[in-house]
Amino acid sequence: MTLIDHVTNAGALPSLGMTIQFAARRQDLLAHSIANISTPRFQQRDVSTAAFQATLGEAIERRRAATGGASGDLRLGTSREVGFDRSGALRLTPRSSGGRHGVMAHDRNNRDLEQLMQDVAENVGVFRTATELMRSRAGTLRAAITERP
Amino acid sequence: MYGALDIATSGMIAQRTRLDVISANIANENTLLNAQGEYDPFRRRMALLAPGNPSARSPRGQALGVQVKAIELDQAPFRLRYAPDSPHADASGYIREPNIDSTTEQIDAMEAVRAYEANVAAAEAIKSIASQGLRLLA
Repeated sequence: MTLIDHVTNAGALPSLGMTIQFAARRQDLLAHSIANISTPRFQQRDVSTAAFQATLGEAIERRRAATGGASGDLRLGTSREVGFDRSGALRLTPRSSGGRHGVMAHDRNNRDLEQLMQDVAENVGVFRTATELMRSRAGTLRAAITERP
Repeated sequence: MYGALDIATSGMIAQRTRLDVISANIANENTLLNAQGEYDPFRRRMALLAPGNPSARSPRGQALGVQVKAIELDQAPFRLRYAPDSPHADASGYIREPNIDSTTEQIDAMEAVRAYEANVAAAEAIKSIASQGLRLLA
């Protein structure tokens, strides 16, 4: 393993990167559901955050077993919802959410605006947390490189 | 990330178009003549929304978002009003008036405005995510 791998894959950095990618992709899905809030017969689609966190947790456990957890590549297993395309970027396969199958609305849309807004707020929170942690980590690295606190 | 902004924008455009259609309906609630001055009551217009956004730049963005697929005429029957003195009255003294119910239009307008606001909120969230992401570089 090269030195730069040790730096870029150190500690929590790979899992933070995955979390940021996941939040950015999920934001697309949430924006899609909001854009189609009054489209007839539209069914909201979302991915399960719990399933993603479980996949991430397993990958972290595997890395800990292999390298002790201090550094090393994080290899996520793929599931029905979470996968990777050829360039290695995260790809989400959403399922229908909302569950009431639109029986409440004349246009058969299963809109749930409050739930959607809560999901957006949560997702932005996850993104902010992950980027702040990554920033502080990058700040430590910068301090080490420049030898200035 | 900027793809997500396309999605929210497509929602805003669709809802604004819908609001334009509703405004036209309310404005023409009592329109009996067409542009040529002939008796031809105004038919209610409906904006039909569908998922997908053909104006997005990326193929992935085209699958997401919303678009106004068509603006169609409501084929519901016209309102009938008894006005035997009107020059447009039929043999039994009724005139046909636009098939527009202002209450329905007002409620549709409220829904369109709320949906627009939801899209604005989504765009704000995306902007905050994008600026937060950019701070990583700074």
